[in-house]
Amino acid sequence: MNERATAEEFLLQDFAADVASRPASRPSWLDERRRRAVQNFREEGVPNRRIEQWKYTDLRGALEAQSAAVLAGPVLHSDGNPFAAISAFQLSISNGCLQEPSSQIPLEIELFDLGRLDDEAPNWVRQNFGEALSRNTMGEASLGMMRGGIAMRVTAATTTPVHLDFLQNADAVHCRLLLVMEPGASLVLLESHGKSRGLINLGVELVLEPNAQLIHVRLADSAPDAVQVEEVAMRVSRDARYRGHFSHKGARLSRLELAIALEGEGAEAELSGASVLGGKLHADVTTHIDHTAGKTASRQLFKNVAGGNSRAVYQGKITVRKGADGSDSRQTAKAILLGAHAEADLKPELEILADDVKCAHGAAIGDLDSDSLFYLRSRSLPEDEARRLLIHGFLEEAILEIERDDVRLAVRDFLESGLAQALESGS
Amino acid sequence: MNMLEIENLHVVVQGQEILKGLSLVIRTGEVHAIMGPNGSGKSTLSYTLAGREGYEITEGRILYRGENLALQTPEERAARGMFLAFQYPVEIPGVTTMNFLKTALNAQRRARGAKELDAMSVLKSVREAAGALNVSEEMLRRALNVGFSGGEKKRLEILQMALFKPVLAILDETDSGLDIDALKLVADGVNALRTPDRGILVITHYQRLLDYIVPDRVHVLDKGRIVAEGGKELAHELEAKGYAGLARDAA
Repeated sequence: MNERATAEEFLLQDFAADVASRPASRPSWLDERRRRAVQNFREEGVPNRRIEQWKYTDLRGALEAQSAAVLAGPVLHSDGNPFAAISAFQLSISNGCLQEPSSQIPLEIELFDLGRLDDEAPNWVRQNFGEALSRNTMGEASLGMMRGGIAMRVTAATTTPVHLDFLQNADAVHCRLLLVMEPGASLVLLESHGKSRGLINLGVELVLEPNAQLIHVRLADSAPDAVQVEEVAMRVSRDARYRGHFSHKGARLSRLELAIALEGEGAEAELSGASVLGGKLHADVTTHIDHTAGKTASRQLFKNVAGGNSRAVYQGKITVRKGADGSDSRQTAKAILLGAHAEADLKPELEILADDVKCAHGAAIGDLDSDSLFYLRSRSLPEDEARRLLIHGFLEEAILEIERDDVRLAVRDFLESGLAQALESGS
Repeated sequence: MNMLEIENLHVVVQGQEILKGLSLVIRTGEVHAIMGPNGSGKSTLSYTLAGREGYEITEGRILYRGENLALQTPEERAARGMFLAFQYPVEIPGVTTMNFLKTALNAQRRARGAKELDAMSVLKSVREAAGALNVSEEMLRRALNVGFSGGEKKRLEILQMALFKPVLAILDETDSGLDIDALKLVADGVNALRTPDRGILVITHYQRLLDYIVPDRVHVLDKGRIVAEGGKELAHELEAKGYAGLARDAA
């Protein structure tokens, strides 16, 4: 068997085994689309480093290493819920399958279990599911080989956050999430990935109708041997606003790809995030923001701290289409390397086809500032404590914009514990 | 007893000798001033005393409270009561001033074997000291020195000095960039620390500050050496003649 076959065969065999283990289901409205998705995946395969967008992140290598290893033990334990202090409506997704909710679903939210596709799917699912284009074959895989997932529709303003708690201990799980925000609806969406193991492949489609508001906070703390891939495709309509925060401290390899289309005047997207890495962890955040309408705004601030032999990657492409005048786009990515063996790759990219736009971008990789270190030490902070305080400050900027105090506190705690691990893993 | 003895100090920074045989003794309870033109080595002296990396002592020594400083880290010196008010206090984004003060105060207490203070006690001490120096609550909530004016930064240095209650305080051009009202506030803060068990070293370019913090001794630093010494009247003489005039007299 040649090398190329390995990663794809690993996934396709796993998929075949999954299908065989289930009772035969009735034909579904989605069968044709899913067959095509599997076919696309079969033809193009797992992304490799020869593809420009994947040159820093060797997904195939990571999957091949994983397919050779047998997952040890069936232990399914969450390392504590990072959002425990927040009163939220919780939905658990175990190995890609939605579990029965333990509390009453808020009135403004409709839920559809994507694991029951042969059920009569409501129109809003049929119209939106699988519509956002996949940018890579892993997105196709998440559709074609999905074990299950959730579709949600929010019809009005909500106050109680929804917490999606993903947990996995299987070799490979493909899963989908569809969220439709009706005009004027609002939601706080919390997403966590416990100490999941195996390949976690999640495909997310978000639809923000006019004036909708979505706050999305994702904390990824998968097991250090996990491979985590998530593709988020989003349409933001007129005067709708998306604010996303994405923080990472786990997974041997993690790739988060966000493709955001700002399609209506006044549409806004604000992204922030932090990766705190130690050991041999690898976290890649790749964003594509497409300003297709005028007077749209995007902001991005990503901070990375890499220790040990870890590697942090940020690739951000902003496109301002012809006619999208009055658009405003800002993008900043920074990294601090804790030692000589850590690595960061930051790649901002701008493509401007409109005339009247404001765009600013910047990227910087460095060590901690020696003036600041000396200042803190002269105030009697031991060197390691001084370093920790400076890194804390560096990360803090990425969470300052999280509007809810309780959520911001949860993210800060999450990162602080990640930082302790990263510093322990040595420089 | 001598608080600080500097003997024939030679310091090299980035391959260049900046201090070339500086000697100075500060006895406990005294206030000394070091004056000198730009480039005379004033800031090099303050950084060397505080233990900054890259400031290499190639000859001579510094005794602080009878102990050789050469092998002590900046944090050890601070724990033993040394405090440097920076000429250019650094900005630290993402760390609120209050959080910084609490962290530093408790680090110092830990180093000295004292119990850490809880948030409420820290807040109380900080508020007391802040009132006298006109440091607002709003400043305490902002990130350390970020967006502070020159005067605000200097007042915050003195606020830290008031909180840490150092044994030896070194003020590196604390007067630069201060208007007269801020200068008086800062001087009051320093004078409050003027007790028989402490020592203060004021480093300045101008005599103005010394009208408010009256020194026991004045030393003139030029090209890395002390070139003149005297009582507080020397500062006024310098003001009248300028550094060049004094150098002519000395020659």
